[in-house]
Amino acid sequence: MERTQPDLVLIVARSFATKLATPTVIIDARGDLVYFNDAAGEVLGRSYLDIGELGVSRWQELFKPRTLDEKPMTAEQTPGGVALIERRPVHDTIVIGGLDGREREITVTAFPLFSRPDHVVGSMSIFWELPAAP
Amino acid sequence: MIVRVWGARGSLSAPGPATVGYGGNTSCVELELADGTTLILDAGSGIRELGQRLLERDRGVLHLCLTHLHLDHVEGLGFFAPLWRAGWKLRFWGPPSTTATLRERVSRYLSPPLFPIGLSEAPAEAVFEDVPRKPWRVGSAVVEAQMVEHRGPTLGYRIEEEGHVLAYLPDHEPYLTAAVDDRPRWVSGWALAAGADLLFHDSQYTADEYVGRLGWGHSSGNHAAAFARAAEVRRLAMFHHDPMRSDQALEELYDEVADLLRDEQEAPLIAREGLEIDLGTAS
Repeated sequence: MERTQPDLVLIVARSFATKLATPTVIIDARGDLVYFNDAAGEVLGRSYLDIGELGVSRWQELFKPRTLDEKPMTAEQTPGGVALIERRPVHDTIVIGGLDGREREITVTAFPLFSRPDHVVGSMSIFWELPAAP
Repeated sequence: MIVRVWGARGSLSAPGPATVGYGGNTSCVELELADGTTLILDAGSGIRELGQRLLERDRGVLHLCLTHLHLDHVEGLGFFAPLWRAGWKLRFWGPPSTTATLRERVSRYLSPPLFPIGLSEAPAEAVFEDVPRKPWRVGSAVVEAQMVEHRGPTLGYRIEEEGHVLAYLPDHEPYLTAAVDDRPRWVSGWALAAGADLLFHDSQYTADEYVGRLGWGHSSGNHAAAFARAAEVRRLAMFHHDPMRSDQALEELYDEVADLLRDEQEAPLIAREGLEIDLGTAS
């Protein structure tokens, strides 16, 4: 029986996110998207149950993150990626492409998830969709 | 690996005629490994009698794996005879902390005003270490520890020797993590218990009691059964019995759990003081 599983911090973060009404995305230490909650699904254009976990290159390809001046961002350059790699909180506004075909500006607060002081197991990104310009 | 239960009660010692069948001592399980090494899981009040038994043998090294530092898992240390005899070496393993060493945290209990004598006065050599991230060898066994869902930093353990596996998760509320989807890898503690020959698991509450105690860190009997089924263990041992649970009430809870696991795995058992199982011959 293959019995590997994520660290408890990721498991509990995921459980916490299910209960949040604020859009929340969680990536693991490899940068793979391991969960987004229902509120995030509204912004991303599909539900987690429809999509499931996504490898890092796949979610970058699907959601096409970009800066406000339309420069493509790699997964590592997104707030969640920076939080993971640089082990610090990040706050930024970016553009993503929803799977419903809509482009959205979102403000993201991301922070690393430490299971021990020297061990990061992923990052959590909480975000808000900015109202469309009048 | 011979498994002996010295205490299976949860939260508070519960001696008396209503609990004499399964015992009132709090968590303590002794493992006698194939090479003679003694590995002790938790130091609840059950460890007092184990300590008296250990004095009958030559002094040596004892390994103690603490799941966490709630009182019902450390309260027996003050009366654990080898700690108070020179010539013994006690090697403790426990959950990591960002604020204090394991020795400092255990000393909070073993010091005034909670206890009259300080840990520093113990004649035995006591060594304290946070559990390693990866499995490590203790005697002839391989021990693995992972954090599990409970109030405060808490470990579960998996001990493997000669192809036999014991999983020990005495304080665990996996239900809180099981609601996202039905894949067991996202359920707290699953990897520790997966495929174990024997799983000691928190079964503190009835289903009705659990409703009012959600988030307190413990499981109902039916949640323990569901976890045992998800982990595909060979046999569940109900553990961490509520201090208010009489022997008769515990057997009623057992009947519910056994019904849930019927035809899926070996009949569960109620962990009781004095229970001894040789995992090497139990197959």
